[in-house]
Amino acid sequence: MKNNLLTSAFILGMIVLYSIPAKSQDLDALLEKESKPLTTYATATFKSTRIVNGHSVERMKKKQLEFRVSHRFGELNTGSYNFWGIDQGTIHLALEYGLTDWLEIGIGRSTYEKTADAFAKVSILRQSAGEKNMPIQLSYLSSTEIIGLNTNPAMQQNFSSRMSFVNQILIARKFNESLSLQLTPTYIHRNLVPTELDRNDLFALGIGGRYKITKRMAFNVEYFYVYRDNAITLPVTYYNPLSVGIDIETGGHVFQIMLTNSTAMREGGFIGKTTGGWSNAGIHLGFNISRVFSFNK
Amino acid sequence: MNKLILLFAFALVFVNAGAQNRFFTKDAKINFNSSTPLEDIIAESNQATTFIDIEKNEVAFSVLTTSFKFRRALMEEHFNENYMESAKFPKAKFTGKIVSPIDWKSEKAVVVDVNGELTMHGATKQVTLKAMITPGKTKVTATAELKVTPEDFKIAIPSAVRDKIAKEVTIKIDAVYAPYQQ
Repeated sequence: MKNNLLTSAFILGMIVLYSIPAKSQDLDALLEKESKPLTTYATATFKSTRIVNGHSVERMKKKQLEFRVSHRFGELNTGSYNFWGIDQGTIHLALEYGLTDWLEIGIGRSTYEKTADAFAKVSILRQSAGEKNMPIQLSYLSSTEIIGLNTNPAMQQNFSSRMSFVNQILIARKFNESLSLQLTPTYIHRNLVPTELDRNDLFALGIGGRYKITKRMAFNVEYFYVYRDNAITLPVTYYNPLSVGIDIETGGHVFQIMLTNSTAMREGGFIGKTTGGWSNAGIHLGFNISRVFSFNK
Repeated sequence: MNKLILLFAFALVFVNAGAQNRFFTKDAKINFNSSTPLEDIIAESNQATTFIDIEKNEVAFSVLTTSFKFRRALMEEHFNENYMESAKFPKAKFTGKIVSPIDWKSEKAVVVDVNGELTMHGATKQVTLKAMITPGKTKVTATAELKVTPEDFKIAIPSAVRDKIAKEVTIKIDAVYAPYQQ
């Protein structure tokens, strides 16, 4: 009997304990409990699809089309006769489109070596925190460039010698609302190189970053270390491209204004053939303008 | 001993009764419109979590600001990055009380006044809105509309785009509730 009483008291105690939270929980607490598990994805790691010259992990989302106009003035050290470079201009035009949220394709045309290019950028990993945790964003870029110049007889005989192929893995992390960094291992194969001494295969490592100054303005730096074991033997002195820039965002446009030692705006050009040096003022003032159009609905 | 069993049964009934006072859904729709002749700005989320307590006549909503989908990806990015600052303030919330009389047994649509607090972008404001509620035993539906101004929630809009964004933003809510089982 005594045992029975104890058991009953225990059960009663359990019931009381069970029913107390049910009664005292207000709607606020219930909302917290039932709100979906939070996985937040990092967005806008960079303001634009380029950090300065090179690709960032950003892409056009599905059915969004970007029209890009990139322009580099001449070299600063060309003096007053050339108005410190302003008299010259190199232009790159591009149309880039998001087939899906994770795949972007694009075509471009540059006055630099009359180059045409086409690329695809695939997002493989997305940075997220919470329920699903992923510390980095990872994308792959594949690009083909075709030089259109008619001054090289070898290129006129054989079309394939105009082509070069760019492969990049873009690894980025948005550390906080202001700071994002990116590593860009790069492999470029060039079917034809300027001299016998140049390597057909070129390896480079890009380092890029952005720091947001205000909500709509950011400071960018981009550097590519190009591995050239035979640099001393080459007839031309090549430099590693270093660029600093500012992004200004106004609604549907992003303006990028930069100083860079590269003339070209495609990987094959600015990684493979940068001949200006910061040390001798071989730098260019330049800008990129990006306009996005939406084809949704 | 018999008394104890009686108590036990009573407690069970009591717990069950408590559970049926609340209706809830995890996929209520919220859309807002701040279009101007210059720009169409429309976004929708269908991931709002909401409760109605029919005993206390209370309602509560919560929605992740990143769950709003726009026609233009860039607009969505700006909404989260520049205006709502979703990384800092991930949720928008409303808690309120139905102040007009409502008969939860009638199963007939009725328009009621709701008073409550709307919190977003880290700022809280008292709001009053009209809602149409259709009570039911297994299903409660509710629609509501309210107007807010971005300035009330400390959302800064630069002068360059001020003309493109409506001064008053219309928010519409559409929810279908089911009984909440704990």
